[in-house]
Amino acid sequence: MNLVRGFVTTFKHVLEGPVTIQYPEQERPLRERFKGRHALKRYDNGLEKCIGCALCAAACPADAIWVEAAENTDEERYSPGERYAKTYEINMLRCIFCGYCEDACPTEAIVLEHEYRLSFSDRRDAIYVKAMLLDPLPPGVEGTPRRTEPGQFTRSIPVMENPK
Amino acid sequence: MTETITIIIDGQDYQVPRGMNLVDAAKMHGVDIPVFCHHPKLEPVGMCRMCLVELGSLAVNRETGQPERDENGQPVVRWFPKLQTACTQEASPGMAVRTDSAAVAQARYNVLEFLLTSHPLDCPICDKGGECPLQELTMAYGPGQSRFIYDDKMHLAKQIPLGDLICLDRERCIQCARCIRFCDEIVGDEVLAFHERGRRLQIITISDPPFDTKFSGNTTDICPVGALTTVDFRFGARPWELDEVASICPHCPVGCNISASTRLDRDFGGRKMIKRIMPRQNEAVNEIWICDKGRFGHHHSRSEERLTQPMIRRDEEWVPITWETAYREIAAQLARHGRESGFLAGASLSNEDLWELRKLARLTHADCSLGVWPATMGGIEQVTQVGVGVGTRLQDLGPDSAILVIASDLDEEAPIWWLQVKQAADRGAKVVAANGRATKLDQYATVALRYPYGEAVAALNSFAVIARRSNAIDEAFVAARAEGFAEFDASLKGARVPKPYAEAAQALLGAKDLVVFVGGEGVTLAQHGELMQAAANLLILTGHAGRANNGLIPVWPGANMQGALDMGFGPQATHDLIAQRPAMWIIAEADPVAEDARMAEVLVGAEFVALATQFMTPTAEKAHVLLPVQSFAEREGTFTNGLRRVQRFYMAQTPLEGTLPAWKVFAHISSSMPGGAKPRIAPGLVMRDITQHVLRYAEMSYPNLAHVEPQFPLVGGEDMYYGGTAYSNHGGLGVQWATNAEKEKYSLAVRPVDVARPRLDGLAVVPVRLLYDREPLFAPSSIMHQRVPAPYVELNVRDAEALGIAEGDAVMLTADDVQMAAEARVNSHAPAGTVLVPQRLGATPIPATLVECVVQKMEG
Ligand code: SF4
Ligand code: SF4
Ligand code: SF4
Ligand code: SF4
Ligand code: FES
Repeated sequence: MNLVRGFVTTFKHVLEGPVTIQYPEQERPLRERFKGRHALKRYDNGLEKCIGCALCAAACPADAIWVEAAENTDEERYSPGERYAKTYEINMLRCIFCGYCEDACPTEAIVLEHEYRLSFSDRRDAIYVKAMLLDPLPPGVEGTPRRTEPGQFTRSIPVMENPK
Repeated sequence: MTETITIIIDGQDYQVPRGMNLVDAAKMHGVDIPVFCHHPKLEPVGMCRMCLVELGSLAVNRETGQPERDENGQPVVRWFPKLQTACTQEASPGMAVRTDSAAVAQARYNVLEFLLTSHPLDCPICDKGGECPLQELTMAYGPGQSRFIYDDKMHLAKQIPLGDLICLDRERCIQCARCIRFCDEIVGDEVLAFHERGRRLQIITISDPPFDTKFSGNTTDICPVGALTTVDFRFGARPWELDEVASICPHCPVGCNISASTRLDRDFGGRKMIKRIMPRQNEAVNEIWICDKGRFGHHHSRSEERLTQPMIRRDEEWVPITWETAYREIAAQLARHGRESGFLAGASLSNEDLWELRKLARLTHADCSLGVWPATMGGIEQVTQVGVGVGTRLQDLGPDSAILVIASDLDEEAPIWWLQVKQAADRGAKVVAANGRATKLDQYATVALRYPYGEAVAALNSFAVIARRSNAIDEAFVAARAEGFAEFDASLKGARVPKPYAEAAQALLGAKDLVVFVGGEGVTLAQHGELMQAAANLLILTGHAGRANNGLIPVWPGANMQGALDMGFGPQATHDLIAQRPAMWIIAEADPVAEDARMAEVLVGAEFVALATQFMTPTAEKAHVLLPVQSFAEREGTFTNGLRRVQRFYMAQTPLEGTLPAWKVFAHISSSMPGGAKPRIAPGLVMRDITQHVLRYAEMSYPNLAHVEPQFPLVGGEDMYYGGTAYSNHGGLGVQWATNAEKEKYSLAVRPVDVARPRLDGLAVVPVRLLYDREPLFAPSSIMHQRVPAPYVELNVRDAEALGIAEGDAVMLTADDVQMAAEARVNSHAPAGTVLVPQRLGATPIPATLVECVVQKMEG
């Protein structure tokens, strides 16, 4: 009797379609809140959101983030705040994609996006530096560093618009 | 000791010293009363109201004089109707305090909420964030949410340079005035002040140049928020990322305990580097302060100019060689020259370096001279006899103490000692500042004594004469310990003492404690020996020897001159070497060519010169082999400070590739010599050798030196009670070696001193030391360059007039073998007949002390 029940289950599955898909020809749709590789965001005006506070590094349970900060000047401005990330690196081999960095960031500069195709042939390649993480510039906008008018950016931490 | 009394805190009895500040008394027993404006090193002001507590006193029955008790037998307390500030209260008997009531909690909550109405939300990028008392206390006692609207906050300027080293953020300031009070009370430099009133109250600098004090960095430590930041560190790292390494300042004989905050850095090749220097608490040395030279003068340790490759000179070209070749070459040369070799050690070598250098010298020949550089001060015999007693703390000198500072400008030569002497004067100590010119200490001195340069010994000797005349001699002590008293006494008889000397002497005599600082300004080496003996004579005669807070403190040039003398190096040997001109030299961490005009010629005449150095100095240009050695930051070792305290420093920074610690280099050369032993593998083992061979250092094993004890006040703990995390001392308090005066079995020699004054016709040169100069270990700290003046000489108004020289003229100063170009400063600092010449401002050597010179105006 038991034997029959077992075969029934087996045959049911034989008739079902496969659950696997042919990656990379086929891809699954991603959920809205999927956590893939990080991106460092820019404001619409092209300035970097990251202010180099290293809170993401402090929050990271895997010790994957390395930040070194420096001071902005009006001649060489990266972010609208007082400081910016001079060095920003994430070791993708250490990262466990928990998203704590995203939560810790006071300026919503670091966001885990939908890119998940991360494979490396060398461990060093797994370290993403700032240039690789930073979002591309919106079209027609000047890059960073850039010269800005004195007195235009006076806050230590930029006031964020509608931080909802 | 102060009397201990009982006070009641939160219903519990506690024993505390009478008169102690209530906040500190509570802290002593682990009861936290939160503070912002109070700091244990500053006078209380009661400005911030954070420390509000309920205060009361035990009710006493007027008839019986006994404390009243209620029906349960509990003492009755009469409470003040309103809350009181704890920081303005002194512990007194019968005092009762409540820190845990609802009223107190509400008060703290309110004060914090009020402070935060004008405080920006900068924590994520603020340099103090993570070690900030405002953050900590808000988390502990403050509101979780603000009832105020963010847009209503004060918006003030955020990057105001207060001088070239410190930056002010006006928004973050909570107006506690700690920074102002530090400058006014502790340093006495009125450089900061409040401007405007009420909500617009702000810090400004009122001096010109702005924030003009040598101690400005300390304000950033004690600021309870991130309003003050140093230009050196600004945004260098977050506090929690820093790794604190205990170290010792390599710049002056105070030997301040410092904490090197380090972390890895991409700019330094991903290696560990010093991000900032903070003071480390050692109440017997620097308390919790350091000067700006110590704080910002660490950049030499990773300067681009550092040498990182052993090199040999071949046909006027520097050719890189391996260490092995260098060792073999030097060993072979030493073997060839034997006793014809001279050894010269600089004052920034560690004791381990010095010991290995000495071993190498002894291996070469028993007669090799061990010279020290600079060779301007000696007197190790006198220090051995009556050096300041073990356990001395300059901060303990008070109303019944006297301090004599002679032939030194402490403010420039040993800033933290200056600070401590100045504070002792504020507490009522009698201070005599004796020098050939006015110095900054004069403002605080009981007597500012001016003697003509050259007469220092006579001046100090006359103090002994006056002591004898006014029966201030400690007969018992002299009878028991002094040796050669009769002869000395005879020499004092009938000596003529000018009135100002007598007055100054009177100010010192009769005090319970006496400390004598002896410098080397305006005295030749021979005179310096006499000056040290004159100081020893005075101390022995008046019985101020062999006890804590009594004795002699030499103001050495350099951080480890004391260690060099302890290891057997000496200034007389240097002068002998210069006279003998040996064929071979081994020089370590010294730059004699830049400082002494004869040295260039002496070294050019030598057959072989090996130099252990960090930089391509003028001396290096005359050497044949260069050995790149490591800075204090890259290795372990010990320095001995002017109070004879042997102190450890640890490896803070990844060493530059290609460099080695000097001790290892010398040990390897030794091992390449016949009879040389295998090198030790660690400096701790070298120190063990020292403890076995140098009697005074018997106690100085590394574990002993690393010993720490709780210190008071309790700053710098994990709780960030007073802010900052780098204060706590985990690296060791160091150990002082005991002088002969402290050991009954030794007698102490007094002898007549030679008071002869060199005959001076015309203008005489007096080299003076400046804190901010261009010596190789300080010059690479470019952040300080604005403070280092161009080479100048100071002339008296009258002399200048006679020579037709005006302020700012370019002049040429010529002495026997020196020509130096400088800018003339014409003022009344320089006494008539002398030219003050600051050392190490230019690339050319300056003349020796008290030689005659000619100053001419340069045309065009
Ligand atoms: S996602 Fe998590 S593990 Fe990855 S970098 Fe961010 S905090 Fe670290
Ligand atoms: S990404 Fe965000 S949390 Fe990380 S350093 Fe930049 S601003 Fe700070
Ligand atoms: S700058 Fe700092 S120390 Fe000075 S008053 Fe403001 S908060 Fe206090
Ligand atoms: S006082 Fe001397 S030892 Fe102390 S920090 Fe300044 S230079 Fe260094
Ligand atoms: S009022 Fe007492 S600490 Fe400020």
